[in-house]
Amino acid sequence: MKLAEETFLTDDFLRQLINVGEVDILVGLPTHNNAKTIGSIVQTIRSGILRGFPRERAVIINADGGSRDSTPELVTGVSIDDVRPASNLYALRTLHSISTKYASSPASGAALRTILAAAELLRAKACVVMSPESVNIEPEWLSKFLRPIYDDGFDLVTPTYRRHKFEGLLITNLLYPMTRALYGLRIREAYPPEFGFSGRLGSQFLGHNVWSDGTDGAGVELRFTLDAIAGGYLIGQSFLGEKAHVERHAADLVPALRQTVGVLFSALEPDFPVWSAVAGSQPAPTTGADHEVLLQPLRVNRKRLREMFSTGVAELESVFQTILSPSTLAELQRIARLGEEDFHYPAELWVRTVYEFAASYRKSVISRDHIIQALAPLFRGRVFTFLMENRNASAEDVENNIEGLCLEFERLKPYLLQLWTSRE
Amino acid sequence: MPLNRDALWYKDAIIYQVHVRTFHDSNGDGIGDFQGLEGKLDYLQELGTNAIWLMPFFPSPLRDDGYDIADYNAVHESYGTLADFRKFLGSAHDRGIRVIIEMVLNHTSDQHPWFQESRSSQDNPRRDWYVWSDTDNRYKGARIIFLDTETSNWAWDPISKSFYWHRFFGHQPDLNYDNPAVREQMWNVMKFWLEMGVDGFRLDAVPYLVEREGTNCENLPETHAVLKELRRKLDEQFPGRMLLAEANQWPADLRPYFGDGDEFHMAFHFPLMPRMFMGLKLEDRKPITEILQQTPEIPPSCQWCLFLRNHDELTLEMVTDMERDYMYDTYAESKTMRLNLGIRRRLAPLLGNDRRRIELMNGMLMSLPGTPIIYYGDEIGMGDNISLGDRNGVRTPMQWNGGTNGGFSTAAPEHLCAPLIQDPVYGYPAVNVLRQNASEHLFLNWMRSIIMVRGSTGVFGRGSTEFLYPANHRILAYVRQLGNDAVLVVNNLSSTAQAVELDLRRYKGNILIEMFGKNMFPRVGDLPYLLTMGPYQFYWFRLRRI
Repeated sequence: MKLAEETFLTDDFLRQLINVGEVDILVGLPTHNNAKTIGSIVQTIRSGILRGFPRERAVIINADGGSRDSTPELVTGVSIDDVRPASNLYALRTLHSISTKYASSPASGAALRTILAAAELLRAKACVVMSPESVNIEPEWLSKFLRPIYDDGFDLVTPTYRRHKFEGLLITNLLYPMTRALYGLRIREAYPPEFGFSGRLGSQFLGHNVWSDGTDGAGVELRFTLDAIAGGYLIGQSFLGEKAHVERHAADLVPALRQTVGVLFSALEPDFPVWSAVAGSQPAPTTGADHEVLLQPLRVNRKRLREMFSTGVAELESVFQTILSPSTLAELQRIARLGEEDFHYPAELWVRTVYEFAASYRKSVISRDHIIQALAPLFRGRVFTFLMENRNASAEDVENNIEGLCLEFERLKPYLLQLWTSRE
Repeated sequence: MPLNRDALWYKDAIIYQVHVRTFHDSNGDGIGDFQGLEGKLDYLQELGTNAIWLMPFFPSPLRDDGYDIADYNAVHESYGTLADFRKFLGSAHDRGIRVIIEMVLNHTSDQHPWFQESRSSQDNPRRDWYVWSDTDNRYKGARIIFLDTETSNWAWDPISKSFYWHRFFGHQPDLNYDNPAVREQMWNVMKFWLEMGVDGFRLDAVPYLVEREGTNCENLPETHAVLKELRRKLDEQFPGRMLLAEANQWPADLRPYFGDGDEFHMAFHFPLMPRMFMGLKLEDRKPITEILQQTPEIPPSCQWCLFLRNHDELTLEMVTDMERDYMYDTYAESKTMRLNLGIRRRLAPLLGNDRRRIELMNGMLMSLPGTPIIYYGDEIGMGDNISLGDRNGVRTPMQWNGGTNGGFSTAAPEHLCAPLIQDPVYGYPAVNVLRQNASEHLFLNWMRSIIMVRGSTGVFGRGSTEFLYPANHRILAYVRQLGNDAVLVVNNLSSTAQAVELDLRRYKGNILIEMFGKNMFPRVGDLPYLLTMGPYQFYWFRLRRI
């Protein structure tokens, strides 16, 4: 019998957790070199706790990925106790702010795992993970995430934002419509940078085998959401306001696809009994707006998107032959030859493309990572069409277009089921 | 046992607060009296108390339980005679127990002859003994203390056709301390009792003696001057006697009442008390350490008086709005438990009759810096009766045994000064001295034990206090030290078991001796000293370098 297990929590962190003891509210803060922003974010978190939960036992847990810029010190500096009192807001009780270094390099999965472990050990009732990049965070965000859990029995609360119509294109064109179609719940941000969860959901996920699959845990937040839906947990959304814009370069697309589409595709196999039994979709209970769209002009290099699509379709033909059906590939090759004015990657073809990729991923027709990489040029083509379609669209038009795509994913779901269950 | 001659005796005192009216009735009229109290002095001596604080026993219409005095130089006829008091005083002193009496300086009853004279005409020589006005617009900066019953600090007197000033009930007119004759008369009152042999006064409502326009009429320099004059006379004529201030104020405002050791010897630490309850409920030491950090140093001859409960409501005047809401929600869920800005409940019901929590609170009472006061009946875990009005619910008769009237009186129950507690949990058949005497494991004997242990060292009464701040905020730890005698106190405010690491490097080499069982704990070394503590457990360790 093996009694001695290797632990991922340090003795020093355990000692700190012992001192904190049982809590009602836990705020997890994964960081890595966030010194420029973390100070004000933590102060806002503290204000949110003191305003929203003045009587509750609360702790801020910083899981740091080896910062070299004093980020952990900035986090722990906001503890409120009998030595360091609150400066502006009155604190009824001690508010601990503790930090641990989980690895020598940043990995969101390891950070979340550390936070989940702390939540379980502290028997936290309601938890929230906050992003160190959310520079527009408001104190009220804490209550928006935590109140539904603490008061109303929700297990997961994901955010909704006011976004520019061309922001979050991977979410609007793939992640949201596909998770909604497959899992039956309309969660706008299934891969959220910040989210609230119950202690029981956290504990359940801590025991998940996702931690031992050999990956670095990237995209595990999406898996967390999918697990919650598949497990029948009570899920809601809270509107936070404008999403702080974080610059993403084209070079980020493949890693982003790995963390989102790769995780989604991976989840489909174990979750097949769940999603195969779901038809249609239901809205998730939402506090505040479901989402909002900003329309101000945004400069996007559409031409390059189309070029990368066309080049990809040509160069990756042999790869696509193993992934896509002949008819889908032929259609893609046809539109790849169209000029900019005529180019159109229709919703139905996009959905078929994604579903065929998902089925191929399951069957590992080639390396799974290559499958994900191969999706990148096609996604760019779809984005080009989305940008063109919505170039002059109103907020309502944009939403209608997204809703149309979602319905297309739902309508073609039997096609995915057919691919999934075929013996080929 | 003779009285010790130490002038700082109040620092080592265990004070027992008692109301003659409700303690023991010797003549069967349903009202407690001095002969009854004298008969119970052995009980108080066995408990370990060495000072008694008597609530007002003077002639009074009793519209405020005796705090409305109609004659300062006599004993209320229900409680006996001056001769009875003298005899009681002598018996107490014979047992080494000092007697502190109440002295209400600020106001009299409206039935007091002084007020009757004062109101009789504008020309009466005693007219200026009270604060009169043609208008009720003066001193607008003064708050109203009894918010539940009073709407103004002025009351109209139809006899003299003018307003009189009262900081408390309307039937309690304030004396005018700007009048030298009043100051002289009140010293004469005190002298009357000092000459009889009383050991000290608990001076009631002292912040309000003098009024000045444009102020809140509290803690004024003129008030301090009056008090300093009384102290000077006391020291000159009656050295070794003691003055205890009742001033429900923030620590910074309380500090001047000690002066340079030339005003009060002791003062109640009002802000600490509710925070002890708060810390217990929050399971967090922060409220306690925070208020003690804000508590200024006091002169070496002075002392804080600590208490858990008394004859008044658990006052929440010296807390923030947020803290008051929390206290109400957690300790007085029923509105009938609330009175003015406080909670009118006894200790045991407040703590859910949880023996562990009651012991922990008493453990802190006995070990934090100050002189502890035990409210009568709390040493056996008496309950309250919130169906009685005002603060009478916590002033019910002492429960001596399970027999007729709980052993308090032989009168017919309908003639008792107040009904006894009768409910199944706290009623006199279940909670009484006789029953608790029968078992060494019941609470009364635990109280005797902790008082004895406290008395085994001078550090609790006179020692310095150094707070430790272990990272576990549920643990309240401090070291009390007097010369080479040092005691480590560790309190677990939590309902669950806790581990705590204490930084005791300053005491490296000492062994810890637990003071109740006298067992040794490991020697202090270089590493943090690890203790595990059960729910609501506390330790007193003597630090011994052997």
